[in-house]
Amino acid sequence: MSNLPEFITIQNVQKYISNRMVLDIDELVVYQSECVVVHGPNGSGKSTLLKILAGLMTPDSGVATTNGVVRPWRQAIREFRANAVYLHQTPYLFDRSVEDNIAYGLRFRNRSQSVLFSEVQSAMEWAGLSHLAKRNARDLSGGEKQRVALTRARILEPKLLLLDEPTAAMDRKSRKQTFSLIRDLASGGNAVYIATHEAADLYQPDRVIQLDYGKLVV
Amino acid sequence: MDGLIGASAEALRLLFTGDREIWEIVAISFSVSFRAIFYIVPLAILSAFALAYGNFPGRRVLITIVNALVALPAVVVGLLLYMLLSSSGPFGGWRLLFTQGAMIIGQMILAFPLLVAMIHVSLQGVDLSAWQTARTLGASIFRAMFTIMREVRFGLIAAIVAGFGRVVSEVGCSIMVGGNILHHTRNIPTAIALETSKGEFEQGIALGAVLITLALALNFAVATVRGRDMARH
Repeated sequence: MSNLPEFITIQNVQKYISNRMVLDIDELVVYQSECVVVHGPNGSGKSTLLKILAGLMTPDSGVATTNGVVRPWRQAIREFRANAVYLHQTPYLFDRSVEDNIAYGLRFRNRSQSVLFSEVQSAMEWAGLSHLAKRNARDLSGGEKQRVALTRARILEPKLLLLDEPTAAMDRKSRKQTFSLIRDLASGGNAVYIATHEAADLYQPDRVIQLDYGKLVV
Repeated sequence: MDGLIGASAEALRLLFTGDREIWEIVAISFSVSFRAIFYIVPLAILSAFALAYGNFPGRRVLITIVNALVALPAVVVGLLLYMLLSSSGPFGGWRLLFTQGAMIIGQMILAFPLLVAMIHVSLQGVDLSAWQTARTLGASIFRAMFTIMREVRFGLIAAIVAGFGRVVSEVGCSIMVGGNILHHTRNIPTAIALETSKGEFEQGIALGAVLITLALALNFAVATVRGRDMARH
């Protein structure tokens, strides 16, 4: 139980993929501004949970409550999408420049060109990407790509940021830079969920939840 | 051999002296085929997206059917369309038979499975995470579609070029529902068929040269754009 205000609650959520149950959660409360590490072995349902919270996947059954209101999933998905951003383990960067990638989500919000430009510039400075602004994002290293993806998500100021194995297959230097950015994000007032195999302490989370065969065990 | 050389020389003369009848046939051919592709591409794109990213029962069966229909014989489409549009058919009242409208409908039907199949293959080449990334960053379904279309732009262009190539050179459907009427529905393939049957090869060779030039030019343009893009990265 946290002292933080509740943001999202999901109850009795089940998800089957190819007739196999991959997620079976009695209740999970997402609190505002908390940093949570989701632990579990491969196939334990970590990515599925994060995708459901991002509104990218619909469970086969379950109830969702957002901001204290119980909503049908169709409506809840809209809420999730409006408030959450999900980052894949291997981030997909569009075939365009780094700054265009970072500006991508902002273009769907009412921003003047000058405001958009300055927001993108300051976001790139935050991530140490300014020198790569004009480079095609496809040409970057794995660590740089992950930083672009994090920056692209951060600039949207989502209430819930869902990171799927954000430092998998990275070298030591990139991992260090990425940890630093994630910790900065987590202290920024938005809720951050991180699915990872890494030691939870690296992220200094508010709590750790454990998934095993799709069930919450902690 | 002399006959072939003589016919080819006459064909070149017809082309370069701006023979009105030949260029009118070329114009009809391009106009009909461009309109057919223009009208059917949006539906083909939507269908390909549904098949690539949709989650509905029967999706795999539909993909199999679409792939099978790629080889749909033009003459069979022509026959079915003829039966539907003839005065005794259910749509006879529309009075479309032997018009460019009927040819456009026929070419749309012919191009549709090829376009869907090729665009679907292109979309499959893009990871599902591309779609999910666009959506999670706030793109509406249509904005996400445009984003993915930009990602697969060369596959998309190749599909459209292939679709255009398929319909601009088909003869079976056009001759059946168009009727090969001079100044109205006579296009390049139907004109070639007619002239060849009369033993007059000059016009056929000239029109064939236009088709081949078109095919080469389109493919060269696609290859050039693609090459420039690859060099950029």
